[in-house]
Amino acid sequence: MSQIFDVAVIGAGSIGTSCAYYNAKKGARVVLIDAGDIADSTSSRSDGNILVCDKQPGFDAIFAKASQDMFPKLENELEYKIEWTQKGSLYLTETEEEFEIASKFCSDMKECGIQMRMMDHQEVLDDEPYLAKDVYGGLETISDGSVYPIGLAYGFALAAERLGCVLSLHNPVTGIQKEEDYFMIQCKNGDILAKNIVNACGVRAPFIGKMVGLDIPIQARQGQILVSEQTFRVARRKVHEFGYMLTKFQSGSYERPVSERVKRNEVAFVFEPTASNNFLIGSSRSFVGEDIRSEIDVMQALAERAIRFFPVIADIKVIRAYSGLRPFTPDHMPIVSDTPVKGFYIAAGHEGDGIGLSPITGTCMADMIAGDKTFMDLSLLSFQRFCS
Amino acid sequence: MEKKSGIIYDGYPSREEIVTANGWPSEERFAKGPIAIAECVQEIPCNPCEAACPFHAIKIGTPITNTPRIEEDTCTGCGSCIAACSGLAIFVVDKTYSKTEALISFPFEYLPLPEKGDEVEALSRGGEYVCQGTVVRVMNPKRNDHTPVVTLAVPKEHVDHVRTMKRLVLPKPGKGFEPVEPQGVLDDDVIVCRCEEITAGEVRDAIRNKKATTVTEVKRRCRAGMGLCQGRTCGKLVSRILSEELGSAPDTLVGSTDRPPVRPTTFGELAGIKKEV
Repeated sequence: MSQIFDVAVIGAGSIGTSCAYYNAKKGARVVLIDAGDIADSTSSRSDGNILVCDKQPGFDAIFAKASQDMFPKLENELEYKIEWTQKGSLYLTETEEEFEIASKFCSDMKECGIQMRMMDHQEVLDDEPYLAKDVYGGLETISDGSVYPIGLAYGFALAAERLGCVLSLHNPVTGIQKEEDYFMIQCKNGDILAKNIVNACGVRAPFIGKMVGLDIPIQARQGQILVSEQTFRVARRKVHEFGYMLTKFQSGSYERPVSERVKRNEVAFVFEPTASNNFLIGSSRSFVGEDIRSEIDVMQALAERAIRFFPVIADIKVIRAYSGLRPFTPDHMPIVSDTPVKGFYIAAGHEGDGIGLSPITGTCMADMIAGDKTFMDLSLLSFQRFCS
Repeated sequence: MEKKSGIIYDGYPSREEIVTANGWPSEERFAKGPIAIAECVQEIPCNPCEAACPFHAIKIGTPITNTPRIEEDTCTGCGSCIAACSGLAIFVVDKTYSKTEALISFPFEYLPLPEKGDEVEALSRGGEYVCQGTVVRVMNPKRNDHTPVVTLAVPKEHVDHVRTMKRLVLPKPGKGFEPVEPQGVLDDDVIVCRCEEITAGEVRDAIRNKKATTVTEVKRRCRAGMGLCQGRTCGKLVSRILSEELGSAPDTLVGSTDRPPVRPTTFGELAGIKKEV
């Protein structure tokens, strides 16, 4: 009889590798299974932003801040270069009306303990000299940072391995059978037995959920990114338009003054400098199944929107475009939860926040499985909320 | 329609292009003895010839894309530049060899090498037969770094046209080139990805210690292939290292994912606000 693991984590993206690491750190015997490589899907087709600025005031912001606060120590703890930098982030507002919405948001976030401040026209231009001269104002979030997302997942996975976690990569799961007090996980390379399962499969979480009879309401929300050549420092840190919040949460009645092309592709300007002196330009949103091809119309809209805020970008070269799938839930909150199937847990559905929320998600998942109290009440993240 | 000639039409430069880009020695200079001729007409970022000349007769200067000029009064025709040119575009002509014959020295990277005294077929820049030539010298010292230099004696009237010789052994018809067997493994400090300056050692580290099994997995771990050329140059080398490390045949390895754009294009062109030039 082969060994029975305490925890099998299925999915080796940033969430799965984090769950494997924190469970192993608690002393559990862990196996991390993935159909492909570490960070093979969403986590290698994302940006590396670790943000609180794009969360909703309240639980969402507090949960994100708790995760963000774990990053400064992570590089040493994991003994892996995750390229953590913390320079804050800057929202741009195009119009007075948008500035007013942002001001309200800013004061709500401050009440949750998030350090933010409004910046007027001149302050924003002084902060980023290459900005278009007509940008109305901005909103700064002090604690935001970024990592190399792929490196983060490797860091978690390799640190977990040092703690005894077995990495079972390139080993697709084909079925799950519930026995009395353990699961038999049927994989391409043979069966794996485990007392607990964490389904950390992101956009593929519903596929694994079905194997134990659970209907998980996660959908793929595609996003495309353009990568620039290595160049001078266009902006010193993460800069994006406040309209990003409006496209992310599909909320509010404010209409941005944008072209048809930008509107139909739900493009909101996001600029992220990388440690390698390139920058990434996002963002777009669409529901197109699991299609991760780059679409020329979206690429054009991304370039157009970037030049609107930083005209100097027009002469810089694009070297690559890529596209990834965000695991979207109907209420924009992840599922970090147990389920009606005893021993079967879900850590998925983080939409565009999986990189940033990975350390706290892994920590909470390890606490839950060990029967310990989590650092705060997580009922808003329960799977139960979708079972009515 | 008039047939156009030149490097982009024929694959080799026309006399006019050479004269414009590099100049051409005067007849007075030819009468004094051997002299180097650069036939390098494209604005390539390359300047080893400038440093190779012990007499500082070759000038490129700044920017590095300038085409080389050879000062005819300073050049001694020593030939140090021939093997230093990675584009194989420098020759030495000696019109004072004898009353009827002149010498042409050119880089020749085909095996087997000819031997002194051999009678060979002298070819033009375009590879067409010009005349018979006699091998006078074959130089292949270590400093040439595997670029032998062959010197032929040819009738004087042909020396401005002869630039190489026919290979002694040609591939069998329909056979093409034989695959090159790598001579041992690359040293750890050899740069594999030039854009990101990633060495063979870093690629091996990604495979041995970080579990990479495909070209893409190597890329994500150490950035080989993430640069300006998007792996067009290093992809095959990474495959070769993967195949050595994992013991799997190169054709079973999954390559890197191709993504647009095919070549770098500006954000302005993409957005449609700037015309491509």
